Amino acid sequence: MSDMVLDAASAMPRARRAVSTRIAGAAILLALVAFAAFGPLLAIDPARQDLRNMLAPMGGEYLLGTDHLGRSILARLAHAARLSLGFATLALLAAAIPGTLLGVIAAWSGGWIDRALSILADMILALPGLLLVLVLAAFAPGDIRVLFMGVSVALWVEFFRVARASAAGVLASPEVEAARLLGFGPAHIVRRHVAPRIVPVLATLAAFGVGGAVVTISTLSFIHVGVRPPTPEWGNMIVELLPYFEEAPAHALAPAGCIFLLLIALNLLAGQDPR
Amino acid sequence: MSLLIEDLSVAGPQGRIIHGVSLSAAPGAPLTLIGETGSGKSLVAAAVMGTLPAGLSATGRVRLEETELLTLPPAARRGLWGRRIALLPQEPWLSLDPTMKAGPQVEEVLGLVRDEAPAAARRGATRLLAALGLGAQATSRYPFQLSGGMAQRVAIAATQAAGATLLLADEPTKGLDEALRDELADTLRARAAAATVLTITHDIALARALGGTVAVMLEGRVVESGPAAEVLDTPRHAYTRRLVAADPSRWPPADPAPPGAATVVSGRGLACGFRARRLFSDLHIDVRAGEIVAVSGPSGCGKTTLGNALLGLMRPAAGTVARSEAAPTRFQKLYQDPPAAFAPHATLRTALADLARRHDVPWARIAPLLARLRLSPALLDRLPGQISGGELQRFALARVLLLDPLFLFADEATSRLDPVTQQEVMELLRAQVTERGLGVLLVTHETALAKAVAVRHVMLGVEP
Amino acid sequence: MTGLSRILLARAVQAFTVALLVGVITFLLVRSLPGDIAMRIAAGRYGMDMVSVAAAERVSAELGLDRPWSAQLLEWLWNIARFDLGTSLVTGERVVDSLGVELGHTLLLSLAALGLSLLIGPPLGLLLGLRAGSAADRAGLVAAAAIRALPPFVLGLLLILLFSLTLGWLPPAGFEGPRELLLPALTLALGLAAASSRVARDATALVVAAPYFAFARWKGLSDRQALLRHGLRNASVPLVAYLGMQLVWLIEGVVVVESLFAWPGIGHSLVHAIFGRDIPMVQGTALVMGLIFVVLNAAVDLLCLALDPRRRAGA
Repeated sequence: MSDMVLDAASAMPRARRAVSTRIAGAAILLALVAFAAFGPLLAIDPARQDLRNMLAPMGGEYLLGTDHLGRSILARLAHAARLSLGFATLALLAAAIPGTLLGVIAAWSGGWIDRALSILADMILALPGLLLVLVLAAFAPGDIRVLFMGVSVALWVEFFRVARASAAGVLASPEVEAARLLGFGPAHIVRRHVAPRIVPVLATLAAFGVGGAVVTISTLSFIHVGVRPPTPEWGNMIVELLPYFEEAPAHALAPAGCIFLLLIALNLLAGQDPR
Repeated sequence: MSLLIEDLSVAGPQGRIIHGVSLSAAPGAPLTLIGETGSGKSLVAAAVMGTLPAGLSATGRVRLEETELLTLPPAARRGLWGRRIALLPQEPWLSLDPTMKAGPQVEEVLGLVRDEAPAAARRGATRLLAALGLGAQATSRYPFQLSGGMAQRVAIAATQAAGATLLLADEPTKGLDEALRDELADTLRARAAAATVLTITHDIALARALGGTVAVMLEGRVVESGPAAEVLDTPRHAYTRRLVAADPSRWPPADPAPPGAATVVSGRGLACGFRARRLFSDLHIDVRAGEIVAVSGPSGCGKTTLGNALLGLMRPAAGTVARSEAAPTRFQKLYQDPPAAFAPHATLRTALADLARRHDVPWARIAPLLARLRLSPALLDRLPGQISGGELQRFALARVLLLDPLFLFADEATSRLDPVTQQEVMELLRAQVTERGLGVLLVTHETALAKAVAVRHVMLGVEP
Repeated sequence: MTGLSRILLARAVQAFTVALLVGVITFLLVRSLPGDIAMRIAAGRYGMDMVSVAAAERVSAELGLDRPWSAQLLEWLWNIARFDLGTSLVTGERVVDSLGVELGHTLLLSLAALGLSLLIGPPLGLLLGLRAGSAADRAGLVAAAAIRALPPFVLGLLLILLFSLTLGWLPPAGFEGPRELLLPALTLALGLAAASSRVARDATALVVAAPYFAFARWKGLSDRQALLRHGLRNASVPLVAYLGMQLVWLIEGVVVVESLFAWPGIGHSLVHAIFGRDIPMVQGTALVMGLIFVVLNAAVDLLCLALDPRRRAGA
């Protein structure tokens, strides 16, 4: 009894802290999503060059200055945000939906279906994800469709494995055995027993999946095998602005700041230690 | 070496939890504290040991020989651990380092606490373990390779190694089956001859076996204390009487099934397990309407497997199972750990409503059923984790009774409950057996419980 | 089967899978190239000016490009199995030769990064785990979260900007000696340590709260003795298991960091090969990178086995 009292007392501030970090994460993410959604509508054409105003400082005529070709950095960041977030969201959906469904199906049916799917997943996991994406990128360097395919192929396995393991744990538990004995069918078992367990885990995975996808495309652009200039993309922009670092250090770091903010927001939202 | 507790109180932020407890123990005169979960008995041991959770503080006097423990600075109390006071943890197989062999876990106490040379420490540890019946083979194993009883004895040897003469044993029979419990009682009794033993338990049989003084605790107070035989045979306080009466050996005998009752489930020539480890073979079993058949035996003997085979949850390796009716939902099961048998995120109202909808049972049938099982309707809006184990097990019973079962497999259904709660749940189950003609297969590791409620009793052993 | 042989078998299967995956993808890559593949290979081999129809036909016959694709695929995979990886389309060098040189560089960088991360992460995590919930613990969490929110290329860039351009302490890129190794290794090590410090912290906090740790103290051991005898080994079990998961991050990071710092390793070479669509090089580098991953994984598995008797028993 005394233990319960003490636990409840110490759990209170921890739970409150967890909620407030999630709210902070959601707020930052929402701001970035709004920037990606509405920024391109309001700001100037990201390709328009103002040749009298190259490397303009921040806070002048251009809020975040201009790059070496006199293009608005704010406009380019907004378009890049739209590209990255749109890409990551679509890649996430393309990975999470089949991954989760197949994971639950594998856990439910067991037998050869489970074994075949698990072998397929192990095959894809044999190579680190970025390596797989890189090799696939060789099919058409710079083509975003190939990157999309690579990222989704690497990511669905994560959802498959997590969904399969969590679902298998629940399906083998006494609560599901009891539900079956009580005459409940698959729909009820998935809704009442499986879904409440796997949804929080998958939500965390989704947050890390989005972050991973954004990092992957910016990394690939940075090493010249991803999206190519003049398309505004965060990794691209860093490459383009880096030679002018001494004159305009903040310009080169602005895209990195966007990536940093996004990852921090997703981390806070997931409410997990960074792993 | 004697322990004297005078007017001990423990207070937390919400006020007093233990109220003025006074007790004593000495070598040859062990002390046993009994009471249900939350009665505060573990806090008394923690106050003696000096391990009260942060935020709780003790007042009063606790004297070990000439030493007043409560006024001692914390570092000095730490200095007594192992050397003068030892604590035998509950479920000792969890308290041994999983990555170290058993022998060295005793040996290190002699080496590090008593500063003995390595060779002397090894000899000393071997001697201590051998005295408890553990040879070289057992001591070179890792904890996960030891049986519960062996792990228990390794832990006892470790508590003795540094010379402690006060042994606090916290729920030492938790998780042990009956044979191991008797073995433990013998070990503790032998230890009590030379050392002062204070045991915390809710196991009346253990208290009886240990002898010495028994003190009964309820809501932070000692309500009755005295010589074990006296307190347990002629209890004066109402709570002690309930506690003693809750011991299955005191229950009224079981009613046989009415003559001519139909067989609801029967197994013929059943065998389960694999070739390498056959659990049982050529087993015949019948459960008739209106009777309880008990199955008992040591852990790992295949009790649960037998029940699952009768329910059709698994296919036996050999033999046939015949059920009196085809509808599978009239054959149900109660689980050992009630919270594990409910979806944790749905309220009990939702759980029962889902079931009623699935089987077209009118909700009006539920209220009287809950009343019959002494469950308050207010509990319906709680989650399974928010009510007590006894209440949840009664909800589990209500849930299966809604389906008018013919056969119920109760798998250790009361073994995680306090004795009084166990009796309450078991009485309700027995009433249903008589009223509805329910056939029950009760799997339990407690022979006394099996004898008390069953008309027939199947003992399974471990086949060689 | 014992734990040891099971691990080795599983990793052998993984190595086989890596080879198969890389082989099939690069084979498809060859087939997908626009234009006459024989012509391209001949161009790579003999130089753009020397290509003739005759040379292309010779290549075509040599590679068996006129045979059905299934026979070609088998031959392609058979060549991988013999570690016959062909010649670079860009430099004309034998792939195996350049891989041999680059492998040493990549291993040096990976092991330096791993070693450095182990010097930083776990000891820090141990200290914070013993003070779980303190201000230092929370500061450690914030720092780890901030570092993990920087992808390796950004983190490396920041380190270059700080240590090379602003402070002028270390060279920004190149491959001369230990001074050039420090920044790329630190880039990878910081990311690895940020995560492993949290795992070590959680493992330590868990062990200190474990019943066997309490029992060690009740037996009369001092906190220090309990930590040394029962804390470290138990806390390192989940940490080493986590090391296996970090390898994905390490290998991915090596590719990026080598490119950023112009470190002449396999990752750098892989990125170049993809950029130039030098298929034999893509195949060779991806294969070796994947195999490094498998070998490091096997090493982590064996370490887990040595630390945890429960795994040795196959439990």
